[in-house]
Amino acid sequence: MRKRIARAAAVYAVTAILLVPIVWMLTTSVRPPLEYVSDSISLIPSLVTLEHYRELIRGDVLGKAWNSLVVAVGTMALALAAGFPAAYALVRIRFPRKLDLAFLMFVLLVKLTPPISLAIPLYQVLRSLGLLDTLLGLIIVYQVYALPFAIWMLLGFVRDVPVEYEEAAMIDGASLLRRLGSIVLPLMAPGLIATSIFVAILSWNEFAYALLFIQSPDKFTLPTFIATLITEDETFWGKLSAVGLLASLPILVMVGAVQKGLTRGFSGGLK
Amino acid sequence: MHRNSTSLALALLAPSLVLFLALTIYPLARVFALSLFATDYGFEDALFVGTENYVDLVQHRFFRTAAWNTLVFAILATLSEVGIGLVLALLVSGRIPGGRFVVPALLMPYVLSTMVVTAIWRAWFHYDFGYLNNVLRATGLPAVEWLFDPDIAMLSLVLVDAWQTAPLAFLIILAGLQAVPDELYEAASVDGAGAVPVFLHITLPLLTPYLFLCALLRSVDAFKIFDKVYALTGGGPGQATETLSMYVYRLGFRFFDVGGASAAAIIMVVISGLLALVYASRLLDRKE
Repeated sequence: MRKRIARAAAVYAVTAILLVPIVWMLTTSVRPPLEYVSDSISLIPSLVTLEHYRELIRGDVLGKAWNSLVVAVGTMALALAAGFPAAYALVRIRFPRKLDLAFLMFVLLVKLTPPISLAIPLYQVLRSLGLLDTLLGLIIVYQVYALPFAIWMLLGFVRDVPVEYEEAAMIDGASLLRRLGSIVLPLMAPGLIATSIFVAILSWNEFAYALLFIQSPDKFTLPTFIATLITEDETFWGKLSAVGLLASLPILVMVGAVQKGLTRGFSGGLK
Repeated sequence: MHRNSTSLALALLAPSLVLFLALTIYPLARVFALSLFATDYGFEDALFVGTENYVDLVQHRFFRTAAWNTLVFAILATLSEVGIGLVLALLVSGRIPGGRFVVPALLMPYVLSTMVVTAIWRAWFHYDFGYLNNVLRATGLPAVEWLFDPDIAMLSLVLVDAWQTAPLAFLIILAGLQAVPDELYEAASVDGAGAVPVFLHITLPLLTPYLFLCALLRSVDAFKIFDKVYALTGGGPGQATETLSMYVYRLGFRFFDVGGASAAAIIMVVISGLLALVYASRLLDRKE
């Protein structure tokens, strides 16, 4: 019993220590600059101010958030539109065993390829399509990672839809589109939502391609906007914390919404 | 179901295949082709140089430093993340009051955007007013130049990476621990086995596949590291934290040595391809 209490205490202590940076971000975002640029280790502000948030809004943070949102939704829509039929085909249609496996290996290989190694040719592809420095271009290059990830995750969810339902509908003469619309997609709804959220988070957080393929500040997404604040080499920590918090909130909400799907997603990917 | 369905399969796979072709296969082929030329952009006015770019790279001190730094970072990050993940998982795995709040709380750093994580730590590493040095000074210890001391900057990057991604290792290892049947522990305690032998002879062997998977996942990710280096150290001081991704970025997008950067990129793809093979063979083993 005493051992259990000691262990619980250790767990709480470690968790608390690991979360200090996040608490620091929370409180720094509402602290006056003179107070955080000091040698104090107190995390509690003596004065609460919203000046950092106001300053951010003047600096068009909402515009960057909007860009991030447009790219996240676009990436998600394209990844699902292309990935769902592929996942369905891979599960339901009997491929020569080796082809099926080869495709999955390819998906895995792409997942593990360093983003920077594709950056030069992707830059040239986007330039020749006239899509450099556009959000649409970003949505397209994000498919490099979003699409394999979506297929990988959707495979597990398609497998969970009993094939018997579809066979029954087929006997009744339902077409493929009909079966997808009235059986497969509704049954897979939770899986589709979980996959969409994961893809959206992936896109929301992406930095390297956003840095390389977007040059105009008014088209920056939140991560590139944050990077410019970081590398300006001044102690804008209140502003940084505030924008960090704004960028994290949607993710925390979305992760909260699919918490159960979280483990399911990982096991779906590993199975 | 669906016999005679080659055309249907193709139709369903077509959008994905087109995207893969345009965004992965073609770029990979192009980057390989570019790596055989001396060029500052494309193939116009490019000079075919065969394997010269590769030979230059291997002989170049900066490239070797970047490769060495990437290896050091990947090993240190993987070891510390799997280690921390294991300790956390062992602590949390027994039933403790409030345990179901602890797991999501521990996962918080992992779900934050890398740039947000980097922003926090950039402030924490500040020499004069950073939180870490404030804590050190408050406890009477000397302050540390976290990002500008060449011997420490790499360790600082490892610290940030570990803080952000040890939670993922924790989650995977925890799943592994929960898969160990309780009967094994009961049998061991009936036999009077102590905690350490139980850990060494029961828990650890059963956990090995999870630890291995975790280490592989983390090393593949650590190998690609770019964001944190870019925004925390810029590869410095000097060359102390220059990694391969940073090197390719600098060569290709700052110095416009597209041929050389492509060769370095191909070397990275080959290394990550080898890691992918190990990973894939492990996954297939698990399947069988």
